Amino acid sequence: MADSEDVSMVEEKVEQTEEQEQEYDLEKIKLLPGSSDDGTAASFQIIDEDHTLGNAIRYIIMKNPEVEFCGYSIPHPSENKLNIRIQTYGNITALEALHQGLDNLAELCTVIEDRFSEKIEAGGYKTVEP
Amino acid sequence: MASQQREGFSVPASISHAALGQVTTKSLGVKYNCAQCASSFSLGKNDAIRCKDCGHRVIYKARTRRMVQFEAR
Amino acid sequence: MGDNIVGIEYNRVTNASSTDFPGHSSSEDNSWDIEKFKDQFDIQISYITERTANFDLVNIDTSISNAFRRIMIAEVPSVAAEAVYMFMNTSVIQDEVLAHRIGLIPLKIDPDLLNWVDKTQDENERYTEENTVVLSLDVVCSKNTHAPKNSTNPKELYKNAHVYAKDLKFEPQGNQAERFKNSPVVASDPDILLAKLRPGQEISLRAHCVLGIGSDHAKFSPVATASYRLMPVIDIKEPIKGSSAKRFQKCFPSGVIAINNNGEAYVKDARKDTVSREVLRHDEFDGKVKLGRKRDHFIFNVESTGAMSPEEIFFKSVRVLKNKAQYLRNCPISQ
Repeated sequence: MADSEDVSMVEEKVEQTEEQEQEYDLEKIKLLPGSSDDGTAASFQIIDEDHTLGNAIRYIIMKNPEVEFCGYSIPHPSENKLNIRIQTYGNITALEALHQGLDNLAELCTVIEDRFSEKIEAGGYKTVEP
Repeated sequence: MASQQREGFSVPASISHAALGQVTTKSLGVKYNCAQCASSFSLGKNDAIRCKDCGHRVIYKARTRRMVQFEAR
Repeated sequence: MGDNIVGIEYNRVTNASSTDFPGHSSSEDNSWDIEKFKDQFDIQISYITERTANFDLVNIDTSISNAFRRIMIAEVPSVAAEAVYMFMNTSVIQDEVLAHRIGLIPLKIDPDLLNWVDKTQDENERYTEENTVVLSLDVVCSKNTHAPKNSTNPKELYKNAHVYAKDLKFEPQGNQAERFKNSPVVASDPDILLAKLRPGQEISLRAHCVLGIGSDHAKFSPVATASYRLMPVIDIKEPIKGSSAKRFQKCFPSGVIAINNNGEAYVKDARKDTVSREVLRHDEFDGKVKLGRKRDHFIFNVESTGAMSPEEIFFKSVRVLKNKAQYLRNCPISQ
């Protein structure tokens, strides 16, 4: 009796977390006016982000050989908004470039995280300040 | 908290003393602290403003224990 | 000098921004390649103590390193006092100032053991045992009757004349005694002076501590400092010998420059250099040495406030950036 109850509770929790993961802020990112008709050039506005994400995403999008231009700006220091402009050479859309950039950034973080935990586990570093 | 009476002040049981013109020696329960010896006491109407223990003439009115909320910012 | 070296001259810096983008140079590809990054990227850990970590991130762009630095300071969550309920404070320090000081005390509370406060909820139901830790501070100062004669030391004359961070006591709510049994809730630095008292003065309060991030208030920042510097480069262009070598050595912090058996100066450990540019002030060494910094070699120094180990704070910063990217990737784009 007690066991079956526990199991059902666990299942409920899993469902809940899955539901929570599906929740995304509809206001987080929007398309700004001034995009080209074919979608190869566009500006986006991201809410509640700053130079931390702005500069990182700018770098990684600029690394994409399909991208002609990428730049970001914080239009006003007291508004928590981030504008990012992407123009491609025409083979991909600006949105695709943004998504590729975000994927690459996440991938990069995974590499850094794995490498750092490798080094921590390997040890061999000092544990007192020299 | 809201129902609790304000500490340090108790509503007089009757106002008849004033009406009768009588001098009452009943303390209102206001506490004072001596600035010198930190002893706590209350004063009557005709008492001199001095500490009852050490006679020091600087005394403070005690703060109530009423809770006040602050933002730790 | 290579193109990944920032030149440091007498009165200017050169070559400061990176140019490793496709289309910038015809000889190199430079487009993003995770495998290439995996091969080149390196981490070297110098030391990790309970409170500080020092490690190098090599072959990584400033925009990424800087993101980690910024996230460690402003976006890795930690716990701090947010509301202070004052029952009595007859000390000379004002209520709001005392509350502010209590907020700034670093607490040894594992942030993973608490949930976020749901600000959308009603104020009376917002704080639960899942998201709030209660600390109490109750001190009354009194005269010490056994004080040595003629003493002028307040610590001998009075009891509880000094109120420290260690006087904050954990008040477990609900299941918290069980949840926090392996990591007792205390101030990370017990000897922070909060207030001074004299006999008859009293402080009695309750502090409610919640999760927060540094961009909201500095008290929530899990680091005292999180900074990086670029790896210094000292390039000796012409041999520097004899007494000149001795003077050359004195232009740098000790351990940076050594002198070999031939009396010639060589760079022993550029990492120790502070790049003070002292050497550039001497005509004697004009043209003989070039100073620089490696643009893609970051020497991180992370100092924790005590709630988490410094390496954990770095780990969390990486995860925060990753979550940001993944979240934004899945966000619908409105018009």
